[in-house]
Amino acid sequence: MAIRNDQGIVLRGYPFGDSHRIVVLLSPNNGKLRTVAKGVRKTKSRFGGRLEPFTHVDVVLYEGRNLDTITQVSTIDNYRHLRADLDATLAAATMVEVVDAVAQEAEPSQRLFLLLKRGLETLDGGTTGPDVVTSFLLKLATTVGIAPALDRCAACGRSNHLERFSLSGGGAVCEWCRTEGGGMRLQPGLLDHLGHLASTDLASITGGTNDLSGPAMGVTRRFVEYHLDRRLLSLDQ
Amino acid sequence: MFEGPVQRLIDELGRLPGIGQKTAQRLAFHLVTVDDADARRLGQAVLDMRDQVGFCSRCFNVAAAEECAICRDPRRDTSIVCVVERPQDIVVVERTQEFRGRYHVLGGALSPIHGVGPGQLHIDELKQRIPDEGITEIIAATNPTVEGDTTAMYLAREFKPAGVKVTRLASGLPVGGDLDYADELTLGRALVGRSEL
Repeated sequence: MAIRNDQGIVLRGYPFGDSHRIVVLLSPNNGKLRTVAKGVRKTKSRFGGRLEPFTHVDVVLYEGRNLDTITQVSTIDNYRHLRADLDATLAAATMVEVVDAVAQEAEPSQRLFLLLKRGLETLDGGTTGPDVVTSFLLKLATTVGIAPALDRCAACGRSNHLERFSLSGGGAVCEWCRTEGGGMRLQPGLLDHLGHLASTDLASITGGTNDLSGPAMGVTRRFVEYHLDRRLLSLDQ
Repeated sequence: MFEGPVQRLIDELGRLPGIGQKTAQRLAFHLVTVDDADARRLGQAVLDMRDQVGFCSRCFNVAAAEECAICRDPRRDTSIVCVVERPQDIVVVERTQEFRGRYHVLGGALSPIHGVGPGQLHIDELKQRIPDEGITEIIAATNPTVEGDTTAMYLAREFKPAGVKVTRLASGLPVGGDLDYADELTLGRALVGRSEL
């Protein structure tokens, strides 16, 4: 059986057998990788510490029938500042959860990988807050092809009188296109704020919260959950 | 496959963690051939455990009474409490013989990805214990994983404002290990937490 090299960011891991761990990675070249790391839960393990979630690693894989076995690991970046901050860790948990939900096995995921890497770098750099996560979710939506319409009506393309947001309709809708009673009403300025979060580079997002952070996160979360047909558990915390 | 009762025993044993069909069969046939008294003692031990053991009302350790043996021990220092994820972890810490305080079992660790939040852990009960027992220090002895670290940080955020000292088990090199096999995170923490000789 073949041995190959790959790299990836650890999305999550769960116990397998007595001391092994199944480690799920996102590789830019091969998409989601489900691998088994043997004996890593023992304290004598040589590389267990490198396979914790949010770590960017270089791995040597021994191809198996179902799962590949990790035989060597070296760290590219372990984002240790992120791990020392509770809010950043929670934000990172949301990032990996949603990436795990959209990533496919055996499918190159260059853009998704770069987005996640950028997201973790931002958190590691000390910028946290709901706006960072919202911006990340909007960018992820764009990457996977479910970006909401934010600057024009999702139905008719008109760019004024956008006062409502429709989950099933695909974003902002104007007064005329909304179905009777449908869509959430948007508070003033929210659409501009969402547009700003969607288009601004993650590194340039200001941390902390303002009046629009909460509602922006709420709308984005519901939109992403609706289109992925999956609840984002980490946002409940 | 086998006579009713034997097959039933194999099925039941096979449901235990880490025991597959083959091992279950071996265990079952061992019990078929072993002394009557030995087999009955095993059965009785399982029944007694179910009848008598519950969780300590104070710390959620397994206990054969209202409170566990550690909580009942008057020689224990009540001002310091070691917070662990599972009851099994208490045994490991006890074996070090370095800790003379009491424990608190959380019943898991915070794991946002799996939807485990503070509400699912015994954190409110710990809050209750602080004034009741005059606790001044909490040792976060959760696993050195992302989940365990997150839990420790959460404990610090919850209890520090109340004037409780929250400490974390040190991370470092395993005794008998090799320096060049240590990962960066562990070695980094070992350097930060180095101690003077």
